[in-house]
Amino acid sequence: MPLEILLVLVVGGIAGITLLLHLSGRSRLRVLSPELAWSEWLRHAPDDAIIDVTVAHDGHAALIRTESGNGLLWSFGADTVARHLLDFDLLDHPQGFEVQFHDFGTPKAIIHLDERERRHWQHLMEPA
Amino acid sequence: MTDHVTFPDAVQWAVPFFIAAILAEFLWIAVKGRGGRYETRDAVTSLIMGAGNIASGFLLGFIAYAFFMWLWQITPLNLGTSIPVILLCFVLDDFRYYWVHRFGHRIRWVWASHVNHHSSQHYNLTTALRQTWTYTFTFMMVVRAPLILLGFHPAMVLFVGGLNLIYQFWIHTEAIGKMPRWFEAVMNTPSHHRAHHGRNARYLDCNYAGVFIIWDKLFGTFVPEQEDDRVDYGLVHNIGTFNPLRVAFHEWVGIWRDATQPGLTMRQRLAYCFAPPGYSHDGSRDNSEQIKAKHLDRHPEDRGTPGFEQFDTKQPNTQAKQA
Repeated sequence: MPLEILLVLVVGGIAGITLLLHLSGRSRLRVLSPELAWSEWLRHAPDDAIIDVTVAHDGHAALIRTESGNGLLWSFGADTVARHLLDFDLLDHPQGFEVQFHDFGTPKAIIHLDERERRHWQHLMEPA
Repeated sequence: MTDHVTFPDAVQWAVPFFIAAILAEFLWIAVKGRGGRYETRDAVTSLIMGAGNIASGFLLGFIAYAFFMWLWQITPLNLGTSIPVILLCFVLDDFRYYWVHRFGHRIRWVWASHVNHHSSQHYNLTTALRQTWTYTFTFMMVVRAPLILLGFHPAMVLFVGGLNLIYQFWIHTEAIGKMPRWFEAVMNTPSHHRAHHGRNARYLDCNYAGVFIIWDKLFGTFVPEQEDDRVDYGLVHNIGTFNPLRVAFHEWVGIWRDATQPGLTMRQRLAYCFAPPGYSHDGSRDNSEQIKAKHLDRHPEDRGTPGFEQFDTKQPNTQAKQA
């Protein structure tokens, strides 16, 4: 196949499919409830015993306290990603916090919090 | 031997079909309200990974091809290009694919290339295109050497390899349940391959087949999809990025960081490169056997069921062994 035609097909195909998915509402983030956050955490970390779950007001992140330490669960497109809070930096962000994980495959998560939540979450996320 | 043989690049010619099939699957899901899920950034990442795979073929494909042509020059055998020879080459290359794919899940160096194909939590036709950019660096091209030394022309070997990949495109879907029983018995199908993409303990390291599922049945790696254990797609530790560069290289970076940390023996450094994924020198991670054993501690009722046959049904609470 001529390279020019292949290039047009690939670029046009990606652009067209992207547009179709976005315009049909497939860009929405997963919204978490406490029950969903609980079950999603156990999906990612089935060996954990959860103590309690705190879901951010925007529903896109949850702080999970477990018997083996704290963890962060956050919306990742239509799904979720979870990490134990072991090796991380907590940075201020205009909309809440930025958590940096020192992991090339999961570099960071931005948690959107209002002022009241921010203080509460900071307290919860401080190392024991 | 230097005779000139050419075959079309089947994967490139299949690109229009890939795009049309993705649109058809999306519309099917949208109309029926079942049969899979699509998410914009996930799908775009998969498509860019597919485009990058083609680009890496243009940039690095000459390395494998030069190696194959060197083999072709030294072999005294030439089976020609008749239809039966092409069919035989297709079957033998699928056998080659089974082993390369198995190595891809059991040797971290090869997994570093293959992991991106499993990095989506979705399973649709775009997932099929989420392909590696770094296959050349695994050196798995050597597994094709016997085919060329047996007298199959390198161009033919690459052609049937392309057909193999095209076959595997359509099985990346939840829109198809089960195929007819005879087909499920012999061929790789959406059901078999869904199980392969599962991060559930039951489905780890199973169903490596490309086209013919018989290889898994022959070598004891076949696990049928279970109605009561819905496949959870993705990685044991799902990544949190849609950035194609991070998707393509994250495991290579992980190998580098693990193998170069201070205080390790040479054996431990090599194990971080070549042991099965999940190896750690300090027992801080689990490999697939340990994940299965832990699952059985939580769910002893699954002992002896598909995917857990290797665990003795008479010994509950088996302790996980460190690799």
